Order: sequence, then structure tokens, then C-alpha cells
Amino acid sequence: MPDTELDLLRGTLDLLILKTLSWGPMHGLAVLRWIEQVTEQRLQITEGALYPALHRMEQKGWLGADWGYSDRNREAKFYKLTAAGRRQLTAELSKWSRYTEAVNLLIAAQGAR
Amino acid sequence: MSNGRDEKRPRLFRLPTSRRRLRRDIDRELHFHIEGRIEELVASGLTREQAEREVTQRFGDMAVVRDQLEEIDTRTHRRHEFGEWRSALTRDFGQAFRGLVLRPAFAAVVVLTLGLGIGATTAIYALLDAVVLRPLPYPNASRLVYIEHPVPGVETNAKWRMSQAGYFFFRKNSKALEDIALFNKTEASLVTPDEAERVRAAAVSGNFFEVVGARPLLGRTFTDADNRPNATPVAMLGYAFWRQRFNGDPRVVGTSVSLGSVPVTIVGVAPATLDLPDYQTQVWIPLELDPNAPAVNSHYLDAIGRLRPGVTVAAAQADAARLTSHLPEEFPGAYTAGFMRESRFGVLVSPLRDVVIGTMSHTLWILLGAVAIVMLIAFANVANLFLVRAEARRRETDIRLALGADRLHLAGHYIAESLLLSLIGGMLAVGLAYGAIQCLLVLNPSSVPRLAEVSLGWQAGVVALVLSLGAGTVLGLLPLTRRALGRDRVSTLREGGRTQTASRGQLSARSALVVAQMALAVVLLAAAGLMVRSFQRIRTVQPGFDASGVLTFEVSLPYSRYAPYVRGPAAYLPVFRYHRDLAQQLAALPGVTSVGMTQALAMKDGDGCASVFIKGKDYSRGNPPCVGTVVAGPGYFATLGIPVRGRVPTWADVDDQSGAVVVSKALAERMWPGDDAIGKELRPNGNNPPWYHVVGVTGDVLTHGLDQPPSEIVYYPMVPMEGAPLWSPPTHMTVAIRTRATDPLSLAPAARRIVTALDREVPVANVQTMQTIVEQSTARTTFAMLLLAVAGGMALVLSAVGIYGVISYTVAQRRPEIGVRMALGAQAAQVGRMVVAQSLRVAAAGIAIGLLGAFATTRVLQSLLFGVSPTDPVTLGGVTIVLVMLGALAAYAPARRATKVDPVEVLRRE
Repeated sequence: MPDTELDLLRGTLDLLILKTLSWGPMHGLAVLRWIEQVTEQRLQITEGALYPALHRMEQKGWLGADWGYSDRNREAKFYKLTAAGRRQLTAELSKWSRYTEAVNLLIAAQGAR
Repeated sequence: MSNGRDEKRPRLFRLPTSRRRLRRDIDRELHFHIEGRIEELVASGLTREQAEREVTQRFGDMAVVRDQLEEIDTRTHRRHEFGEWRSALTRDFGQAFRGLVLRPAFAAVVVLTLGLGIGATTAIYALLDAVVLRPLPYPNASRLVYIEHPVPGVETNAKWRMSQAGYFFFRKNSKALEDIALFNKTEASLVTPDEAERVRAAAVSGNFFEVVGARPLLGRTFTDADNRPNATPVAMLGYAFWRQRFNGDPRVVGTSVSLGSVPVTIVGVAPATLDLPDYQTQVWIPLELDPNAPAVNSHYLDAIGRLRPGVTVAAAQADAARLTSHLPEEFPGAYTAGFMRESRFGVLVSPLRDVVIGTMSHTLWILLGAVAIVMLIAFANVANLFLVRAEARRRETDIRLALGADRLHLAGHYIAESLLLSLIGGMLAVGLAYGAIQCLLVLNPSSVPRLAEVSLGWQAGVVALVLSLGAGTVLGLLPLTRRALGRDRVSTLREGGRTQTASRGQLSARSALVVAQMALAVVLLAAAGLMVRSFQRIRTVQPGFDASGVLTFEVSLPYSRYAPYVRGPAAYLPVFRYHRDLAQQLAALPGVTSVGMTQALAMKDGDGCASVFIKGKDYSRGNPPCVGTVVAGPGYFATLGIPVRGRVPTWADVDDQSGAVVVSKALAERMWPGDDAIGKELRPNGNNPPWYHVVGVTGDVLTHGLDQPPSEIVYYPMVPMEGAPLWSPPTHMTVAIRTRATDPLSLAPAARRIVTALDREVPVANVQTMQTIVEQSTARTTFAMLLLAVAGGMALVLSAVGIYGVISYTVAQRRPEIGVRMALGAQAAQVGRMVVAQSLRVAAAGIAIGLLGAFATTRVLQSLLFGVSPTDPVTLGGVTIVLVMLGALAAYAPARRATKVDPVEVLRRE
């Protein structure tokens, strides 16, 4: 994959994860399921991208991680938003809307020839 | 066990502590994910195999992801850990600080005790470091050796310096030495229009600066040409002298000064760091050396060699021995085969540093051992305090542990506290050590070499830091090791802390510390006691003269005017006349009872060694005996209070060259055993010189030190007989004045005025009382004794505190038991005896072990002792009695408290 695409994807993935976790603590699988469900399977996210993203965001202090039990009583690592994560989510959201606005403007623009 | 618990009970805020743990967490997380996925797919109708394949395919390369995650987590973990550590540190030290502020007495005692122990060790280490461990302050220090000639055939421990002929021969032929330099400590008179000043001079060979590796600060150093006879006289100034006397004026180079009435050109200034060992050279002058002079067996030159790179001292020794064996064939006139055989003339090459430090190295190591013992005793006291405190905090600790507190965190807490205390103690120690060193520099003990170089260096700081860190860590871990060894903690909680009796184990741990303390104290006190007894012994030794009430000073007559170059006794007349006049005028001073002078003052100067021939003995086979040869003026014996049987030569005897001499008792007894020496005849070496006749015999005189045997001396008159060219005119003499004044020094200004009035160019130097000179001869014993006595005293006090602390703690612990005993009818006296007996048991164990230790170790003191055996029963017995009394005394107050226990109150509380 070319770099630009990966960067775009990664930035977007952070936003998706932060937004998902804003509903409450979840383990990785639940995050994945939630994104798939809500986007009606339109966004396919691989585990190879999800887990590094989760761990990286944990390192940055946006996410906290605790061990807990899943609803089927299995031990799982639960992620939740920290205060810093919440602030990051707000920033990402505004960045995203500015970005899409700009892209939309460009697409909607008439040719200036 | 802990693994199982981890899996059963997931804990919040658990920090993975190892790489393995990180990896395991990652695997668990991914495993959960994959299992969940597979179950999902199976639920939607796939078989398990299909589901697994589907999931793996979707996941991609699992190993890559896992590595990626591990890398991220490691970084997270590290940052987290650092943060934890920092906050734990702040928290632990904050808590520790607040805790200590609440218990200032505990903190103060610990800091003081540790500070004292570590401070003493630091101070002695600083001394040892500066004197023994640090290289000499010469760039080539590690390659410098000192060369001397042992002559066991002449005198057991006698060592001669180098001869001029030997110097040129060695310098030319040595394979192991790059070069050899010479020096001589001497004195000169610097004459200015205002006054004549006596200056400390160093006469050196031209290559001296080059050999030790020094460059001049200004101008030039000397060359071999400056050493030649009849060379233009030149001099260099010592740095400090240049600064002080010439205000550090660089223009002084090239100017001329009068040195011993001869104009001398100043050619340079020596650098600040350069000096002869333990000497503050004021003026450097070239030695007069003549390569063409006939070889003479006269050894008066200090020789420093510089080893070739890579050559060992042992190799240089072998090389020098080879050269020495060639001396008879090279210089048959000076070194006959007979002389070599009789004197057993040899050579000794040793590192210059060893020669400079001498025996002080041994003394300082002993002192370091002594203060280390003091430190251990101090440390044992503090350890005891910590154990008592840990006991008091046992419940607190147990509750914390029961609530799941991490052992590591608890350790951090304890260590923070003890480190805080020990580091403050360490700072105090550095302060104390600094003070101690300053005191030492003020006292300026003459027995310590290189004292000018002593300071509290960074090395000593490191020692203090390491000691305090070590002490802090051990003290902090102490309560925890006890925990680890200790009993099951639930039982303590169940006991409810009602009856806090210390367990047997803890009590015996504390007793063991006290026993160790007592044992160490016994060793140290034995050492101190032996030194004190040596000192007493040495003070009772009769030196053979009466040192009290005697003032001494040196006068130096300008050679050019007082030693005319004429043959025969006439050459001695100016010196003779000067001293006769001086003696007369000084004797007229109020309070003066007698005046004498000598070339070699007892205890201060060496007596030299010259052959003496006894009339009627055959010396054709073997050499004549070599005995002390001293020139003394008529009043010398009366002034020093040396008893003389027979008569003492008078000024008239000297003037007439009557040939009357006085000999010491030891010499008389060896030369004429069983016969009266008076009336016998003897003569010095030479070409058939005339015979001198003995007119008097002194009592035994110890001129080499109080711990030395009586000296064998011939006291010759100032003017030799015709035909006996014994010595050059004695232009340099020490004058002694016996006075009735309480302080002989009060006479000094008047004496000085007389000397100046007699001849303006004659300086007065080294004004001191005879008492001071005698004390200096025992300076090493005194120094070692004082420091060991201080260490012993500290050990005694600290041990007393230690045993008192433990006994009174036990009494407090045993209150219930004592209460029961008294309720059952025990008498107060019985209870008191029980407490005292316990203390004595501990003391006895310590004393027994300590005596064994003393027997094993006091031998190292041997060379410092005088007239006392290292296992002197009186000393060891005395130490035993002192410590038994200490044990009894320490128990006194606790025993009284025990008898005051009220059984009713104790029982009610139970």
C-alpha cells in the first residue's frame, strides 16, 4: 500500500476507535464488531491494523487498559477512554469535519476553465 | 503459587514486570480475539476448521503483529515504570521525611551515630589517601626510585647514601635507570642590608628537575655545568619563598643576591608543586660535583633514579647490585675488598614513595582498621535502634502485608527512610571529617609525612557516600529480612498486639549485635591500652640528659670568613673564637646557668659514624669500629645535664689542643670492658694521627630516640689536634642554653640580639626547647596513641549505649513476666540481680570473643609498641575489668526500673 493511503487510514482508524470507545469500555473484538456493525460492514478493518493502533493509543495515554471478564466469562483486555483520549476525540472530530468539508468543497466546485 | 493467584484473580493496575509477562499478555489478548471470532463464525454455520482458516487468513501474519505490539508495549511499560518509580520515590522519601520529623530524637541519634562512625573513617581514609595512596607530586612519580647502601656490617639498620664517585659510576653504567639525580637538604644564609636570614636550601644535581619531570615557572633550571667546581654561583627560588619574600616579582630572575656572603645570580623560579619530600625549599642551589675528583668513600648524597619505561624496581635492584659489586675494581682506593666484606656494603633500590612514607603507612592502615571498628560498633547501635523500631511497627507492617501491600513497596518505604537518615549522617560525616583534618593540620604532627598534601579529597567523599549508602540499604532491609525469617503474620494479628513480647529470635539478634559490639570494643581498647602503656613506658625512659629548661637554636657562620683556607689548627680559630665569645655573652644573660654547643644535638641530629682506633688494639685484620663522632663545646654536658665522670675539657683544653676527649658510657664499656676508660687513648682514622686521651665518661645517653639503645659516641673538641684533620671547621652549630626561666623560649629574643651583635651576617634558626625535640622523637608513638585512644573512647561510649539500650528494652519487654514473678513473691533484689546477670552474660560473651580477637590481631601493633608485649596481660586484664564494669553499670538503671514494676498494675493490664 502506498504511504498516503496508510496514513489516511491510520488517522481515520484512530478516530473510529476513539469514537467507538466513547460509548464505554470494550475489548478489541468488541471494538471491531461495533465498527463493522455500525458501518454495515462497509469498513473492513484488519486485526493487523486494529491491535497496533489500540496499543499505540494506550502508549500515548489516550486509552487505559484493564483486564476483565467478557460476557462469556473469559479474561479479556478492556480498553477505555482516558481524559486525554476524550480531548483527542474532540480534536480528531473537528479535524475530520474540516477535512471532509474541504474535500466536499473541492468535489462540488465547478470547473474554472 | 503466585502464578495461580494471578490467573484466578485479575488485579487492577497490575504492572507487567518482565518481557515475558508483556508477551503473555499480548498472547492472551489475541487468543481471546481469535477464539471469539471463531465462535462467531461457527455460530453462523461454518465448521470449526473452516472458521479457523477464515480467521487466520483475515488476521494476516500473526507473528509480525505480535512483534509490533510487543515493541509498543515495551516502550509503554518503560515509561510507565519510570513514572511509577519517580512517584514512588517522591512518595517514599516524602513519607520518610514526615515520619522522621515526627520522631526527631530517633532521627537525631541515628544521624549522629552514623555521622560519627562514618566521619572518623572518612577522615582517616583521607589521611591515608593523601599520605600513602596518592602518588608523589612529581610527573614521573611512578618511575622514581631511591637508591641507598645498607651497611649491616657497620650497624644493623644503617643505610648510607650515595657517594660522588658512586653517582658518576652508576649514572654512566646503569642499564635499568634512565638517569639519576642527587639532592641534599641544606641551609644557607640569605644576607640583605637589613638582616641575615636562614633559608632552607636544596642542593641538587643539574638534572634533578628533568629527572622528576618538572619545568621551571620562570627562567631556567640547572644544568650539569652548574654543578662543576668553580662554576658561576647560581640559584633558583622556591615558589612560596618567591611569592612571600620577593612579592612574586618576575624581574627577580637575573638579579643577584648574597647567599652565604657570596653573590649568586637567580636564574629561575621553581613551580609551585615542586618540592623535596616534606621540605619547603626556599632556595634551590646546584650541588658541587666533580667528575674528576678522586673517589672517596663518603656517602652524603640522596639519590633519586628514574626507571627506564617498563623496567621494574626488582630489575633495577639487580642492576644496581651488579654495579655495586664492581666498585672495588673501579675505585680500589675507596672501596677495598676488606671494606666491602666487613661492612657488608650493599645497595637497596626502593620506590621513592616507600622511602618518603616510611613506617607511617603501617600506622595509618592500623588507624583505618581502628576507625572501621568504631564505625561497625556505631552501625551495630543504629541497627539495634532500627530493630527496636521495626518491632514497634510490627503490627503496622503486618496489617499492610495482610492487606496485600507489595513487599517491594514496603521495602522501598523502609529503605527510603534509612537512606534519608544515612545520607544526612553521611553529610554530617563529611563535615566532621573536614573538621578533623583541619584540626590535624593545625596540630601539625611532625611524624606524618606529606602532611602539606593532606586535604579532604573527592576520594574521601566517595568513601563517605558509599559507606552511607551501604549503611542505609542494610538498615532498610533489616526489618524485612526479619520478616522473611519471622513467624507467620496472622498469629500476630490474632494476638491483637496485646502482649508484645519480642520473639526469642529477635532478642537474640539484638544480643548478638551487642556481643559483636563488645568484642570489637575489646579489640580496640586492647590496642589503645597497649599504645598508652607503650607511651607511659617511653616517658619513663631516662634519656641520659635533662631536657627541661633548655633552649636550643642553630647558628651558621659564613664559610668564607670563618673557614679560612689554611692548614692546621689555625683554620679552626675563627670558629673557636666566635663560639667562645658567644658562650661567654650568653652565659651573662640573667637566669642562664650554663651554655654549650654541639655539631650534633642529641635527639635532633644524627651522630654520624667514623672509625675509631683504640691504642693497644690490632686493626690489621678487619676494620676498626665505627662510632658516633660529635663535636661538642665545653659547656655542652653541663647544659644538657649529662653526668660526666672524670672531667670535661675546658676552653683552655680546646685552645691548647690538649687532645682531651669525653666518651659515652656505652662506648667505654665496649672498648674497654671491665676497665676504666679514663686515661685510655684513641684516635680517628687518618695518616698516623696523634692520640687523644679520654678524660671523662658520660652516663648512658639515648641520642637516637627513647626507644633506641644507648649511643656509642666520642665527643671531640672543636679544634682538632695538629695532624688530625678530622673535620672541616664546624661553622654550623646548635647552641644550647640552660636557664632557670619557666619558659626557655622567653630567652630567645635576648639570645638573638647577642648573636646579631656579634656578627650581623650570622642567622639564628630553629629556635626550640629541648623538651620539644624530645617529644618529637616519640611523635609517632604519641600520634598513634592519641588517635587509638580517641577511637577506643568512642568504642567504649558506643558499646555502653548499645548494651544499655538492649538491657533496658528487654526490661520493658519483660514487664509482664517480672510483674508475675513479683506477684508470686520474688524480691526486688532478685529481680534486679536477674537483669544485671543478663547484662553481664552478654558482656562476658563479647569480652571472651574480643579477647580472642585481640590475641589474634594486636600483633600488627608490634612495631609501634615499646616495652610491652602485644598480648600484655595487664592491658588485656584491664580492658576486661573495664568492660565488665561497663556491663554492670549499663544494667544499673534498667535493673532499678525492673524493681519498680508494680505487679498489680501489670496484671490488671494483662
